[in-house]
Amino acid sequence: MAKLLPENITKQVKEIFSNMEGSVKALLFKSEKNCDYCSTAEQMLQELSELEAKISYEVHELDSEMADKYSVELAPSIVLLTPEGEDKGVRFLGIPAGHEFGSLLQDIVSFSKGAIPELSEESIKKIEKINSPVDIKVFVTTTCPYCPKAVLTAHNIAMVNKNVMAYMVEANEFQDLSKKYGVSSVPQIVINDKVTFVGAYPEGQFVDQVMKAV
Amino acid sequence: MSFFELGSAKKSDLKEYYDVTIIGGGPGGITAGIYAVQAGLNPIIVEKALDGGQMNNTQSVENWTGFTSIRGMELSERMADHARAFDVPFTYAEVVDVETNGLEKAVVLDNGKKIKSRVIIVATGSNLRKLGVKGEEEFKGRGISYCATCDGHFFSDKHIAVIGGGNSALDESLCLSKMVSKITVIQNLPKLTADKLLQRKLNDTGKVEYIYNSVVDSVEGDSQVRKVNIRNVDSGEITSLPVDGIFVFIGLIPNSQFLKGKVELNEFGYVKTNDFMETSKKAVYAIGDVREKEVRQIVTAAADGAIAVYHAARNYFND
Ligand SMILES: Cc1cc2nc3c(=O)[nH]c(=O)nc-3n(C[C@H](O)[C@H](O)[C@H](O)COP(=O)(O)OP(=O)(O)OC[C@H]3O[C@@H](n4cnc5c(N)ncnc54)[C@H](O)[C@@H]3O)c2cc1C
Repeated sequence: MAKLLPENITKQVKEIFSNMEGSVKALLFKSEKNCDYCSTAEQMLQELSELEAKISYEVHELDSEMADKYSVELAPSIVLLTPEGEDKGVRFLGIPAGHEFGSLLQDIVSFSKGAIPELSEESIKKIEKINSPVDIKVFVTTTCPYCPKAVLTAHNIAMVNKNVMAYMVEANEFQDLSKKYGVSSVPQIVINDKVTFVGAYPEGQFVDQVMKAV
Repeated sequence: MSFFELGSAKKSDLKEYYDVTIIGGGPGGITAGIYAVQAGLNPIIVEKALDGGQMNNTQSVENWTGFTSIRGMELSERMADHARAFDVPFTYAEVVDVETNGLEKAVVLDNGKKIKSRVIIVATGSNLRKLGVKGEEEFKGRGISYCATCDGHFFSDKHIAVIGGGNSALDESLCLSKMVSKITVIQNLPKLTADKLLQRKLNDTGKVEYIYNSVVDSVEGDSQVRKVNIRNVDSGEITSLPVDGIFVFIGLIPNSQFLKGKVELNEFGYVKTNDFMETSKKAVYAIGDVREKEVRQIVTAAADGAIAVYHAARNYFND
């Protein structure tokens, strides 16, 4: 099969992965039905794991105990685990390709170091106080240059507090979901189905929006 | 899958002090970074989104010397790779404040970190101007967009309006023409101001019609944009055009909000500089689109970067 990642990219990816500390496992959830991108997602994870021994992945069906355990309902979904096997609520729905490829790589490196959030102390203090479930969906397209900032901010927020789940949602792959939330500009962020905003807000403002939805 | 972008994954570890902090990684900032290394200085580039800045939104650049035509994204990558090859570090965050008093300057990032430096070069470029009409805020994200490559997919086989008739409006229209079924370009002047070549390319798509002498009066819809109301600037007459989406490219505003009260800005928010790109504060420079100047292009942004670094190296690191 032809390689997904071109050679000039794999060279740079290796360099980025040289910053990894522990091992990171990615769980890929796929389904036989209605999943145009499942096999591509699997191939991408396979190629990444070939580039760096610290990266491994497991494939699970959407209809499985593992899917229930990680509350995964759509395919393809990617869940990252820290070297200790911890789930930090970081999710990718759809393939993180295009500009989102960089988000995936950064999350992997960060997970290898125990998923320590790269946020200001002020933000961390606010997020630590959250004691009810928070669900952050960041709708993106792979051609959107401003989207990774929103995805990474959401993912870092999830790393702070167990109550927070943060999803990158590739809007073209999940059109029903995009329609449901009326997505026509990305990044569109939906928090607990209650607070919605469009654009890559700076960290402080993003966190304020999350606190509004709590 | 067509492409894989590493984007901000290519960040460097952050140190506490640099000789020169460059805010913005567009052509101006990247060129300044390269010249700084060549002058023996330690620079850092702080970028909030993507290496290359506005070049990423340009279909093809045809006036950067040495390339008859190059995709904006490719030129962005080449410039950033050039800087990385010279060990110019990049970090990814939004600068929300600057400390410009005293000999040691500092920039404050949205992730709470602070970078100290002897010199600051502001290269934050410009951003799209809003329409400022009724319905714009309400329908932002529900049919009104400011980024063709980001949001074009949501309008496949739909009829959209593009507001503006300059180079950026037509460039974005060209990008959109690959996805949408019909484009109505609404221009406030009696003719387009975009380059003739670009006009021809867009006409060749066969998907475009033009409405001149007209501005947007308001936007209406329900859960999504349904129509744009247009006012003729001569007669004042208002007509409604049913559309599924509206893309706005009516000019630029400088990204200088965080500089208010720190350095002198002109009435439109552009940073005032002298011939060496130095602002009203010593050792604080402004280059590229964010600066008060006549020609805002890639080549002039790059030139500004070289001039600023030369001056800074000679005046602040000459011991
Ligand atoms: C559609 C379009 C087509 C164009 N076509 C051409 C062309 O064909 N030829 C040509 O020469 N020019 C063209 N231009 C103009 C050209 O793109 C600009 O003049 C040039 O990019 C300006 O460079 P710059 O470095 O000053 O700023 P920019 O390219 O605007 O880069 C500024 C960077 O700073 C970042 N930034 C902003 N604020 C902050 C902050 N607070 N903290 C951190 N980072 C920040 C931004 O994310 C951005 O990456 C075009 C412009 C557009 C919009």
